[in-house]
Amino acid sequence: MTAVTTTPRSLSLPVTRHRPSPRITAFVTLSRRRFALSAHTPREILVPLLTPILFADVIAPALAKSTGSIRGIDYLSFVAVGTIGLLVPLSCILGGIGMIVDRESGAQRDLLAAPVPRSLMVFGNMSVAVTVSTLQVGALIVAAVLRGATFRDGASGIAWTFAATLALAVAMHGVAEILAARIPKQEEYVGAAPPVALLPWFFAGSFFPIKALPAGLAAFAKVLPLTHALALMRYGLVDPRGTGLHDIWGMSNVTVMAFLSLAVVVAFAAAMVALSIRVFTRTAVQ
Amino acid sequence: MQTLSNRAPRAAIEVAGLRKTYPGGVEAVKGIDFRVSPGEVFGLLGPNGAGKSTTIGMLTTTVVPTAGTARVAGFDVCTDPLAARAVSAVVFQEAVVDRSLTGRSNLEIHARLWGVEPAVASYSGGQRRRLEIARALVSEPKVLFLDEPTVGLDPRIRYELLDLIATLRATTEVTILLTTHYLDEAERLCDRVGIVHAGRIVALDTPAALLAGLGAEILEVRAQDDPVAAFAALRSQGIAGEDAFMIGATVTIPLRHRSTREAIDALGTSGVATSSVTTRPPTLDDVYLHLTGESLAA
Repeated sequence: MTAVTTTPRSLSLPVTRHRPSPRITAFVTLSRRRFALSAHTPREILVPLLTPILFADVIAPALAKSTGSIRGIDYLSFVAVGTIGLLVPLSCILGGIGMIVDRESGAQRDLLAAPVPRSLMVFGNMSVAVTVSTLQVGALIVAAVLRGATFRDGASGIAWTFAATLALAVAMHGVAEILAARIPKQEEYVGAAPPVALLPWFFAGSFFPIKALPAGLAAFAKVLPLTHALALMRYGLVDPRGTGLHDIWGMSNVTVMAFLSLAVVVAFAAAMVALSIRVFTRTAVQ
Repeated sequence: MQTLSNRAPRAAIEVAGLRKTYPGGVEAVKGIDFRVSPGEVFGLLGPNGAGKSTTIGMLTTTVVPTAGTARVAGFDVCTDPLAARAVSAVVFQEAVVDRSLTGRSNLEIHARLWGVEPAVASYSGGQRRRLEIARALVSEPKVLFLDEPTVGLDPRIRYELLDLIATLRATTEVTILLTTHYLDEAERLCDRVGIVHAGRIVALDTPAALLAGLGAEILEVRAQDDPVAAFAALRSQGIAGEDAFMIGATVTIPLRHRSTREAIDALGTSGVATSSVTTRPPTLDDVYLHLTGESLAA
C-alpha cells in the first residue's frame, strides 16, 4: 500500500496557552449543573423523602402507642432518628440514576473533555447529594416534631447529628458513584439500588437497640457504618447518655465513643470517596 | 503569549505510532502517524470500525493510547492532558448535551469549564448539533475535533452544518480534524485526508492528489452475467489494469492514459456481456475502494 504525503500549508499562529478553569470555579460550575439537573427532576428530591416521612409520621406513632419508650426515649422520637438511616442512603443511591442518565444521554462526555480534573465531577455531584440529604433530614425532623417527637436542641447535639449526616451522605454518594460507574443500564441500577440502600437499615438499630439482636447479628451490626451514624444521631438528638454508642463500644466515656463512631463513619466515607473517584475515572475513559 | 513565527512551525496535531488495543485484544488503531498544520482542515476517512473515533478519543484524552504519542497544540495527550484539553474542543458523533437544561445553560457550563467568559450564544432554535458546535466554539479552541458531525442529520441541517464548517475554515485559523465516511464532505472541506482502514492509515494526501492517482476518468462496467469472469476477461484484454477493482457486479477501471473511445472499443471486442458502461470523473470513493476493496458506506 502506497501512501503519498505532501507538505501541507503552514501557518504562523499566535499560540495562547488557555488557562484551565480554576478548580473552585470548575467545582462550583459542576455542582450548579448537577443541582439544575436534579431540580429539573424533583422526583430525585421528593420521592426519597416521601417514604421516610410516611414512616416517621404514620407507622412510628402507631408503633409508639404499643411500645411506649425505649430506655427512657419515647419510641416516636427514637424511630424518627432511625428513619434518617433510610432517608439518606435511599436519597443518595437513587441519585445515582442521574449519573447513568448523564453518561447515556447527557453531557458527561463533553465534561470528560474539559480541562478540569475529572475527580471534580464526582465532588460536584457529591456536593449536591450532601446538600439535598441534609435538607431532607431537616424536613424529616420538622415533620416528626409536628407529629409529636421531641429532640434536644443543644448546639453540640446538633453538631454531632450534622456531622454524622454529612459523613453518611458522603459515604452513600460514594457508593452510588461506584454503582453508577459499574452498572451499564438504568434498569439494572434500579434493580441493584434498593438492596444496597435498604439492607443495612434493617441491621443498624433503626427500630430497636442492636442489643436486641442475636449475638451474631449484633456483631455484624457493629461493623456497619450506618449503625455508628444512627447511634451518633441519637446521641445528638434524643440519647444524651449515649446508650446506643455504649451498645457498640461498651465504654464509659460517651464523648470518646462518639468520636470513635464518627471516625468509623468518616473513614468509611473517605474510603468510598477515594474508591468512587478511582472507579469513575477508570471507567469513564477507555 | 508566544508565537510560532520565530521558530519551526509547530503542528496543531502530531500523531506518531499511535496504537490502541482494547481489553480483549481488539486492535482498534494499529500504529498511525500524521501531522496537521495550524489552520488546516484534515479529514480522517474510513468505514465504521476503522478506528476514527478511537483516534479522536485518544486525541481528546477519553481513550488511553496503548502505544505511540499524540500532541495537540504541542501538548502531549498522555503527559499533559489538561493542557491538551484546554486548547481543544470536540463535537461528538452522537448528541452529547444536557437535554433538560436550556441551550444557554449548556453554553455557559462549557464556557466556565474552559475558563472563558460566558458568551452570548447566537445559536438558533433547536438544532442540537448546531448547539454543540456553538458550544465547542465558545472556548475558542485552537483545535476542533468533529467526530462524524453529520451522522443522522436531515439533508437541510447537514448542508447548513457543512456550510458552517466551510465558513469556519475560511474565516478562522482553527485547526479541524473531522472524521466522516461521507466522501463528498471530505472533498468539500478538507485540505488533506487520511484514509483509515482496519486501524491503519492507508493513504494520506490532499483530495486532489489522491484523485489524480486514479487518472482523469473512470470507466464503470456493469457485468450482465458472471462479474468475476467479466473482470478476468477485461484484465486479459488489457482494459482493466492492476488498479481496477470490482464491487458486486460493477467493475471500476481507471482509464489513465487510454481514451474512453479506446476502452469502449476494447470492451466491445472482449466478448464481455454488459448491462451498462459509463464514464465519470474519479471520486474519493474510488480512491478508497481502490485502496481497500471495500465500500465506505458499509
